[in-house]
Amino acid sequence: MNALFREARFLLGLKSAVAAILCLFLLSAVAVGAGLVEVARQQATIARIAPQQAADVAAIADWASREKDPGNAAYYTFHATWDPPSDLAFAAIGTRDVSPYVLRVRALGLEAQLYEGEIGNPEAALPGRFDFAFVLVYLAPLFVILLFHDLRSGEREAGRLGALEASAGSPRGLWRARIAVRAAGLFLALAVPFLIGAAVAGTALWKTGSVLLIVLAYLAFWITLSVVVARAKRGSLANAMTLAAAWMTLTLIVPAIGHVVINSAIPLRQGMELGQRQRTAVHRAWDIPKSQTMDAFFRTHPEWKDTAPLTEAFHWKWYFAFHQVGDESAADLARAYRAGVLKRAAWSERLGLVTPGVAAQLALHRLAGADPSAQIAYQDRIRAFHGALRGFYYPYLFRDRPFGRDDFARAPVYQAAPDPGGWPGGLLLGLVGMTALVAAVGAWWSRREGL
Amino acid sequence: MTSIDGGKAIEIEDLVVRYGERQVLDHLSLCVAAGEVYGLLGGNGAGKSTTLQAILGFIQPSAGRVSVAGLDPASDPAGVRRTIAYIPENVALYEHLTARENVDYFLQLGGLRADRAEMDAAFRAVGLAEEAWSRSVSGFSKGMRQKTAIALALLRRASVLLLDEPTSGLDPGASADFNALVSRLRGEGAAILIVTHDLIGVADIADRIGFLERGRISAEMVAEGPDRFDLRALHDRFSRVRAG
Repeated sequence: MNALFREARFLLGLKSAVAAILCLFLLSAVAVGAGLVEVARQQATIARIAPQQAADVAAIADWASREKDPGNAAYYTFHATWDPPSDLAFAAIGTRDVSPYVLRVRALGLEAQLYEGEIGNPEAALPGRFDFAFVLVYLAPLFVILLFHDLRSGEREAGRLGALEASAGSPRGLWRARIAVRAAGLFLALAVPFLIGAAVAGTALWKTGSVLLIVLAYLAFWITLSVVVARAKRGSLANAMTLAAAWMTLTLIVPAIGHVVINSAIPLRQGMELGQRQRTAVHRAWDIPKSQTMDAFFRTHPEWKDTAPLTEAFHWKWYFAFHQVGDESAADLARAYRAGVLKRAAWSERLGLVTPGVAAQLALHRLAGADPSAQIAYQDRIRAFHGALRGFYYPYLFRDRPFGRDDFARAPVYQAAPDPGGWPGGLLLGLVGMTALVAAVGAWWSRREGL
Repeated sequence: MTSIDGGKAIEIEDLVVRYGERQVLDHLSLCVAAGEVYGLLGGNGAGKSTTLQAILGFIQPSAGRVSVAGLDPASDPAGVRRTIAYIPENVALYEHLTARENVDYFLQLGGLRADRAEMDAAFRAVGLAEEAWSRSVSGFSKGMRQKTAIALALLRRASVLLLDEPTSGLDPGASADFNALVSRLRGEGAAILIVTHDLIGVADIADRIGFLERGRISAEMVAEGPDRFDLRALHDRFSRVRAG
């Protein structure tokens, strides 16, 4: 304990080290603050939905209840769905940046509605979000390198190493204390702003603890790597260059190549293509005999087969039927899209088992419910809700039942629930495994080289 | 200064150190008694630094035995280092700390503390000017740094001093101050091993001089009479060692 206090006091006297730790603290605090602001903005957007939805429905009800035509009600009424941010979203915005967290749907064809968000958000995917996950994954390793690359070589270059180790009862104890104090400084620089953010956001304790574990495991990897590299009898500059190359390889190059390889190996059609397939089927319905559309619809929905026959005149049930047939024509694409997104996510996770940055990022996104599987889960909830909407409107449409003002109030209401997040055990194990591997290789190499 | 029982503070017997295929120390034997200054002279690559590292317990000998104050550096390096003060050629201190803070930090490294009065007494004993005690060491000369390091050795009550090229780069006045300080420490019972190239400097202060050649002591000379050493004989011997 004395050694830790001694090294803590010593570290506090090193202006460059203190400045580095303060800088990381500030970056972390800004990232947490920006995350909290973004989450508050999303929550405010979601909070505005209910009153606006009520006003919107009331306006449609005023107009549509005069004719009591269920088609008007089903066609013109939008129903809001939303994906509230989890209590950890402030730390890892993840896919919430690029996929919509509010979607208003109608009982029309769903596929085209699901991917309208693709038009608005792709540019957000390019630079990424400056959030806590970004600071941890991309910036924190640079601070580790800054504080650890010259741990021994700096002393050697200053000519102090011999006297220092000779003065210390146990040189190992000296280095352990120095490593522990610097590691604690970096950990606190990341953890304190995060803990304040977690307190503000009301983050569940298990998630808070898990994030701290991820921070610890990720820092441990980079500190172990830095200590192993810094052990070699080389200059500080050579150590810094080696570690910078490792940072670039492990956080930028390998993930980018992995991303390209995964995307090439698992081709995924854009959501817009799905919408286009559905739209094409829908528009085609205007050009073919109504009976052809209805036959296709009754094949998959025989429960409405006994509805009154269509005449040449327009009828909403035909309109809604061809929308559903349009959806069904794109069903194989939708299933492939869903499976493809999840398959890519699974391979990204495998990449995370050998790439610490990917592991830490995916683990944070998983905990925050901001990963591709959370995005798919929200789409699944929308699909289920949309199914309920069709189930609500179809009896009016196919049985020609009048749709009055009171019926608007009977429409299903979307029940939102924040994604609970998942325990990223495999990814954490991967991080610990990579750290252990680097430590083992470092120990073997040190023994071989007599360092 | 801690006294050494039995007189022999440093004992090296048949020490062999190999780095891979290269044998750096070849059955080296030497001893330094308490209250004695031993000068170890040798050219580059003779094994001087390796000898110091073996005494400090930084390397494991391939064969032979080292004993410092009765302790084996290979099995009890921490115990050995508690008895030793190692002062390198260029005493590098932490530039952002004052002389006082440096001494305090290095003392704490060895698990020791000194109060202000003890520290003042040590600085006074080594002749470090009072105005320098609480000043950052960044502007210190080599002599001032050595005095700081020896003050540290005094506070650590080290019974063994290892001095690596202590007088290189010192002006004659500073060298004389340094020699006086070493003499005083010898008088207090310290065993002092000076590893150096500086034949003239070591002849002024050493009681015995050993010539380290290809990892072993090839000859030893003992100070005798008022002139202590025959400088001409020393020089001839050293020239042969360096040529060899």
